[in-house]
Formats: sequence, structure tokens, C-alpha cells
Amino acid sequence: MAFIPGQPVTAVVQRIEIQKLRQGDNLILGFSIGGGIDQDPGQNPFSEDKTDKGIYVTRITPGGPADAAGLMMGDKIMQVNGWDMTMVTHDQARRTLTKKKEDVVRLLVTRKSLEEAVKQSMSYPRQ
Amino acid sequence: MPAEVKQEQSPSNATSLAMMQEPQEVVEETVTIEEDPGTPTSHVSVVTSDDGTTRRTETKDMSTNVKVTKMVKTVTTRTVRQVPLGPDGLPLPEGSSPLGSYTDSIDRRYMKNGGDRFITPQATSTLTRSYNNSYNDSYGETPESQYVRHYGLHDGYADLTDNYGSLSRGVNFRPPRYPYMPNSYRPENSYTLPIRKDDYGHVAQPQVPMGSSTVDLNRSQPERFQPEPYGLEDDRRSLGPEEEEPYELEPDYSTANRRTLQGANRGRTHREPLRDGPRVRGYPDDPIEAELIDERHPYIHGMYSAPLAQPERGSMASLDRMGGRRSPSIDSIRKDPRWRDPDLPEVIAMLGHPIDPVKSNAAAYLQHLCYENDKIKKDVRQLKGIPVLVGLLDHPKSEVHRKACGALRNISYGKDNDNKVAIKNCDGIPALIRLLRKTNDMEVRELITGTLWNLSSYEPLKMVIINHGLQTMTNEVIIPHSGWEHEPNEDSKPRDAEWTTVFKNTSGCLRNVSSDGAEARRRLRECEGLVDALLHALQSAVGKKDMDNKSVENCVCIMRNLSYHVHKEVPGAEKFQDPSALQAPGSAGPQRKKKDDAGCFGGKKAKEEWFNQGRKNGENDKNYDTLDLPKRTEPSKGFELLYQPEVVRLYLSLLTESQNYNTLEAAAGALQNLSAGQWTWSNYIRATVRKEKGLPILVELLRSDSDKVVRAVAIALRNLSIDRRNKDLIGSYAMRDLVSNLPSGQQRPAKNLEEDTVVAILNTIHEIVTDSSENARSLIQAQAIEKLVAINRTSQSARETKAASHVLQTVWSYKELRNALTKDGWNKSHFQPTVTATPKATKNGKPGYDDTTLPLMEKNQGTRKCGSGDMIPMDELGPDGYSTIDQRDKDCKYKTGDGSVDLTEREPLKNDTNRKHYIRSNRPAVSLVDACDVKPQPVDSWV
Repeated sequence: MAFIPGQPVTAVVQRIEIQKLRQGDNLILGFSIGGGIDQDPGQNPFSEDKTDKGIYVTRITPGGPADAAGLMMGDKIMQVNGWDMTMVTHDQARRTLTKKKEDVVRLLVTRKSLEEAVKQSMSYPRQ
Repeated sequence: MPAEVKQEQSPSNATSLAMMQEPQEVVEETVTIEEDPGTPTSHVSVVTSDDGTTRRTETKDMSTNVKVTKMVKTVTTRTVRQVPLGPDGLPLPEGSSPLGSYTDSIDRRYMKNGGDRFITPQATSTLTRSYNNSYNDSYGETPESQYVRHYGLHDGYADLTDNYGSLSRGVNFRPPRYPYMPNSYRPENSYTLPIRKDDYGHVAQPQVPMGSSTVDLNRSQPERFQPEPYGLEDDRRSLGPEEEEPYELEPDYSTANRRTLQGANRGRTHREPLRDGPRVRGYPDDPIEAELIDERHPYIHGMYSAPLAQPERGSMASLDRMGGRRSPSIDSIRKDPRWRDPDLPEVIAMLGHPIDPVKSNAAAYLQHLCYENDKIKKDVRQLKGIPVLVGLLDHPKSEVHRKACGALRNISYGKDNDNKVAIKNCDGIPALIRLLRKTNDMEVRELITGTLWNLSSYEPLKMVIINHGLQTMTNEVIIPHSGWEHEPNEDSKPRDAEWTTVFKNTSGCLRNVSSDGAEARRRLRECEGLVDALLHALQSAVGKKDMDNKSVENCVCIMRNLSYHVHKEVPGAEKFQDPSALQAPGSAGPQRKKKDDAGCFGGKKAKEEWFNQGRKNGENDKNYDTLDLPKRTEPSKGFELLYQPEVVRLYLSLLTESQNYNTLEAAAGALQNLSAGQWTWSNYIRATVRKEKGLPILVELLRSDSDKVVRAVAIALRNLSIDRRNKDLIGSYAMRDLVSNLPSGQQRPAKNLEEDTVVAILNTIHEIVTDSSENARSLIQAQAIEKLVAINRTSQSARETKAASHVLQTVWSYKELRNALTKDGWNKSHFQPTVTATPKATKNGKPGYDDTTLPLMEKNQGTRKCGSGDMIPMDELGPDGYSTIDQRDKDCKYKTGDGSVDLTEREPLKNDTNRKHYIRSNRPAVSLVDACDVKPQPVDSWV
């Protein structure tokens, strides 16, 4: 997951589509995010690389839209509807996710289990 | 600043003082704008205004007023000139040709005019113009004779009327569109379009609405107008102006408050070109001045025609003054002995004419004459015209009071405060307020509130306006347009604010008066429903993402002004002072600790903890508890809303979303004011800003292109850093942005910030660095030393020099950093005040600041600063009675204790030593207390 700023990042990602849920006047996704380039990455409990300032999923509302879509706590969000999320401030991420005009968000997320699964799948053939 | 301070006082004290001063609130206001009310359709236009904002010290605005002007122009005039009539003045003949072109424009006007009635007015207006021309000539030659002629002519009403009719049609119509543009009114004419309406007044209004539909009517009548030329010209003209107007006007408004002058200039420049344009295009030909005669008009009858004609003529004359051109048509007009423009005394006399339409036309004509013509305004005043106009405000006929109000609005606009005083001296303010209460006519309300806005730009009138009109303006305009409901009906949906012109004008007026000192603030705060309505309006603006308009700007500025010194001026504020101070120590400690923990990623690694730490969780509650915030038994209302933590989110939303620099500045200023002082609420506000993630928002605004925004944000950060946790965060994350705003040596940064801003930033840096070697280290890492040394040595500004010197002395006081500094090639001499600057300059400088700041800062400020790091000095000083210092809480106390010790030990720097000691002492205290983590605020946002 570590990356060098300015260098291309290779990651195994999963595409997750979340249909926003309307609660009163608000559209909610049912998860919370932490991180961002304006945050202290050292406090992120989910990242392996403690300099990673990416956006992470910190909490998920059980039974909420994100939960239903398969988003998991600790997922790192790479893109939201095509927008990069690896080099954004916390608030930028929040705003991108909460655009009122959009009922659906398509996330590209990565998580450790995905990478491991891929490694395994790739390794098996070789074996 | 700092340097100055130091000098004045003992070193240590000095620094603290300096800091204190600046940090204090910044409130200000600006306000003075004028208004302008122009309603798009009808009247006028506006212009520019300035504001003055004050910054540092006091709340009041220095701003100046600006002006607003409204003009009414009559399109007609030009048209009239069109030669076609030339011959007889009976233009009629060929309506057909003209019709085609004119039709549209004409029709509209007619429609608007409402046919019969209106027609006349228009006609008259047109006539006047043409007359004007003649008038001029006559003046040149033999004025008297001309006059005579005119009068004589009048007799022949029939002719005149006919002429009028034709003129009005042709002229009016044309003008209607952009009529104002005009030839006659060069510059501002474009704006003036509205005016025309005014002149026509009644007609205009109707016309406007009718506009499109009217066309038909016009066509029917067009016959009379031959002149295609007219039509064409008018159209062209009109088009030009209108197009421009809308754009210009709004810009002006927006800018007006802040920078009147600029706005004005812009407006003028634009306008002028427009004016010229028209002429060039085809005017030269001259429009025909046709004369119009309307047989239809009832008015036509003798008296009317004359008066009407005259007024318009007058306008023509004014036009000439303005630089009007003389078109051939004019010449022809001049030759026509029948007409002459009334002179000013005559117009004023007509205000007392027994026939109402004469009054209203005279008033409309006055409005026209006064547009952007200070000389005429003065003449009207000296001819005692203002009391007459004020008297007409109580006239039962809407036509009459509307026109009178329009004239007063123009007269009240501008830098000549004598005009404003004259309106006040004849009880014009209560009369306006009376009319506001009485009328439901939106146009009249716009005019009234526009006039009040103009009047409010003059300092001595502010309290008068408050005394007579505050509650009325609040009840009649602010509350209804804000959408706020006193006792919300559960069935009804909350309403959004309506950004009407009336609301804009009224909020502009209140914005101005809110800067008139403590008493004015008290009155506004205690005005029932005002704060509630303003807050509702702003929340509505945030909800709708409509935050860039002038009304929002006005509202935020009012809120900022009312937030100024709220901790000292609000009834019952004492209750929150001492207790908070006492509690604060205890509370502060806990707060900080908790805060630290709170980070979203929290210091702790466990996910659970992280989650728990989420801002929504315990932190707030804990803080509240620790702070012992007064508990509300019932929802807060009125002025209490000003400093409830809930407003933080509102201001942060504005800071995030608004593109309007004035709004940004005001929102930052509001936070600055609220975070100043040492009462319970400011402690809470400071913590809330952090919890609402406001610090990154503020830091981002340090990159703003607007000098004022940068300054307000810098000072807000300084006040916020009274909170230890905030200080650590700001030191870690804002230092580079702060430093990047500093000039490097004599070379100004791209932004070229003003001295005040540079000083504010330096003081903020000083505050952050004081009592925190970690922050001082950040400062060094941000490559700031080179800039600071350069400023200290080469700045042309004594204040900048002193401020930089203070920072440098503080940095050098951290012995643990000296190694690093030495490695970078710095030595003690770099951190000492420049000889020249230090000594007396400081003293001088200090006093100034102190004075300004003292009022503001006083307790709160003192405390703030003390808390921030300078607290120690305060203690040493002892007494100053910065009891507030206590608030700083534990830190302060600790600091003080430590500080004293440290002081004795450390004496390194000369004057600075004391300060430094304090600082150090503070540090220990801080570290002890908080052990603050420098970690960034954790953030965890639900989406």
C-alpha cells in the first residue's frame, strides 16, 4: 500500500457501488472516513504504512448502505466516482462523497485481504 | 507591534501586551455603504460604495460611505430631440416609419405607463429634454427671452400636448428599455434607466411590467413617431445601458461596501463609455426631439404641461451640465422659444404645488437632477428643498411620496454629509420610518431603505436611526424576509430567506449602524428578533448554498459586529467570567487532555478507541462538563445566539463555501471576536472550532488573495491559539502558510500584503511560538528565520520591524534551539532588536496599539494573550487586572508559577528575557498540563 508521491501506485482494488440513503434532507452512505493529507497519518490504526495519508473507512453503520454494498472497516478508498482520494484533504474527501447531486457513489477500495487473495490466486497457477 | 509593546513596558510585559492587543478582537465593520437601491427595473442604479472596515482595534468601521446613486434618466429626451419633430414640434407625421422601429420600445412604455396617465408623464419627460436643449441655448443667448417664450408656448397646450404625446411615445418607449442610457446622462445614465421610471414614476412602473405586452399598444400609436431614428437610437442606447447596468450594478454593490472608491470608479468608467457609445452611434444625428403631444392626457392642460415639461427640461439641462452633447436637435429645440427648463428654485417651488402630479413630477425631476451631481444636491439643500421633500413623505398619494423618497435617496447619497444631516434635521428619519410602516409598495420600501442605508453611512446619524427605526426595520423587513418565525408553526415549513432589495438595503443600513460602538451593539443585540432572524437568514443561505450575495455579506458583518466584545458587553457576562476562570484551570487541563485523545486516529491505536474518540463522542460532553457551561433551561434566543457554539458551524460553512471576500473576512472576524476573551463561551468556542474541523479551513484561507481575509484569519488563529491544543495544531499545520505570507526582505511576496496584515501574521506567529518550543522549531523549519531577520533589519515599517523582532527574541529564548540556529548560520545578533527600531519606536508604537487594543482586549484580550504564552508577563505585571488570565486555566497558573522561577534563572536576553522566561515557564506548564500532542486533529466524518 505504500507509495511514493508522484509515482504510479499499483493496488488491487474492488469496485463498490453504494446507493445513498435518504434520511430527511440528507443523503447518507452509512460509513465514516478518517485520514487525508491534512491529518496525522500516524494515528490511523488501519494503515500499514504510518505515513499513508489516504482516506480510510473507519466505521460502518450496520445495515446501512455501505454495509449492504460490502464496504468494510479499514478499507482504503482510492477513488470516488473517478476522483482520486489518495491525495486529498479530509474535507475534500468528505465533500466528494456527500455531493447532493449524486445518488450513487462508485468507490474503488483496496484492503489487505484483497491483495492477499490476489497473491494467492496468482501464486496458485504458478505452483 | 510586539517590539513596540516591549519597549513600552518592561520587556516581558511589553510582549505580552502587544500580543494582547492584536489578538483582541477584530471587529469592525464596514459598512457604510450606500446603497443603492436600485431596483433593477426601475430606478436607479447604484454605484459604489465603500466600506470601511476597521480592523484592528475597534469595532467601528471607519469605512466611509459610499454612495449610491440613483438616477433616473429619461430616455425620452433624446428621442425628443430627434429632428423629425423639428419642424413644428409636431412629430407626428409619420408614425409609420418610426413605428416600426420604435414600436417595441414605445409600446412597452406605454403599457407600463398605463396608457392615459402615464403617457403624459412620459411625454413631459421627453419634452423636457428637448426643452433642455432649448434651454441651454437660451441661456447662452438670452435666457430670459427664452423663458418668456416657453411660457407663452404653454398656452398652446394643444400643440404641446400633441408633442408630448408623440414624444412620450417615442421617447418613452425607447428609453424604457435602456432609455436611461442616454445621451443626456452620460455616465450614469445607463444606470439611470431606473430613474426614468422614477421620473415617469407611475408610468414607469406600469410600463415595466407591461413591457412586452405593451408593444402592441405602442404599435397602435407609433404612427405618431416617425422616427425610426429614434427608435433605433433608443433601442441601441437602451440596449447598451441595460446590458451593462445589470452587470455593473451588482458588482458595484458587492464591492461597494468594502471599497467604495473603486466601485465608484468602475461604475463611472463603464458608464461613461456607454454614454459615449450611444452618441457616437447615432445620436449625433440627434434624435429627434419630437415633441409629443398627447391629446389624451388629462394633464395636458395648461399647468401640467408646463411643469412637467420644465422638469424634464431641467433634466436636459442637467444633462448638458453633465457634459451633454448638443445634437442638432438640441439646437432646434433651443430655437423653440416655447420651452424652457425650470430652474431649481422653480422645481422646488413646484414641490408645493397644489396639484399632486406636479409635486410628484417635480420630485422625480429633482431625483433626476441630483443623480451623481453633488452640486445640485447642495443647491437643493440650500434652497430648503429637503424639508419639503421630507414633508411629502407623509403625502397620502403613493405617487407623491414615492417620488419624494426617490429624490431623497439620491440626495442622501454621496460624501456630502451635510445633505444627510439636513434630512435628519427636518425629522426625515422618523418620516421615512413612518412611511416604511405604512406602505406595502415594494418599490417605495426599497427607496426608503435605500435612503436609510445612505443615511446610515454617516456616523452621527447612526444612533438616530437606531432610535427611530431599529425595531421597525427589524419587524417590517428583516424578520419577514429572513424567513424566521417567532413562534414557528409546526405545520409550516421553515421558510428560506428572500434576498430582496429591501432586505439588502435594510441589512446594509443595520450593518452600518452596528458599528457605532458599544451602545449601538447593545441596542441591536437586544432588539427583539433581530439576531434570531439574521441567524436564520444565514443558515438559510448556507442551506441553499447561496452565500455570495450582498445580503449575506451584510448579515455576516452585522453578526461580526455584534459579536465584538460580547464577552464584556452582554448582560450577565460577569457570571461567565470568574467562574470560568476558576474552572478553567481545571477544565482546561481536562479539555486539553481529552482533546488530544480525541483525535480521530486518536493517540491510541485500538480501533475502538479511535471510534470512541470520534468527535461526536465523549469529547464534547466532557468538555462541556469540565467547562461547566451554563446549562440552558430553554433554547437560547436573541443575543445569546451570538456566542452559542452552534454558530461556529455556520461561520465555518461560510468560510468554506463563500466566494465573497467581504463575507469571508466577516466570518473570520466573527470567529475572531468570539474566540477572544476569557469567558466561558470563548473557551467553548475555541474548542468547538477545533472539533468542527475549522482550523484547516482557516489555514487554507491564509492562501486567499484577499489581504483582508488573510488578516482576519491570522488574527482569528491567534485568538484560537489561546487554547493550548489549538496552539499545537496551528503550530504544526499553519506555520508554513503563515510564513509564506511574509515578505522576504524588501521584496514583497506576490500578494503584497499590507502592513497591517504582515503585522497581524507576525503577531500570530509570535503567539504560536510563545510558550512552545515545538512550534518555534516548526517556525525554523518553515524557513522563517531568514524572512524574519530580513524584516527586522530592512522593513520600512516600524511596526513590522517590532513584530518580527518579538518573534525573533522569542525564538532565541529557546536555548534548545540555538544549536540548530547556529548551524544555520545565525547568531545572537540576528535575534536582537534593531537598535534604531527598538527603543523609542516601540514605545510609540505600543501606546497606539495599547490604546486601540486596550478597549477591545481588556480583560479578555489580556487573558488571551496571557494564556497564549504571554500570560506570564501578565502575572508578573501582576495586576493589570488581567484577571482573565486565569481563564487560561491551568496553563496560565502553571505557567505563572513556573514562569516566575524561570525568570529568575533565565536572563539571557535583555528586555526579552522576561518574556522569554515567561515563555519558558509557560512551556513547562503547558507540557505539564497538557502534554499536548502535537498530533493533528483526528478527523472522522460520517458520510
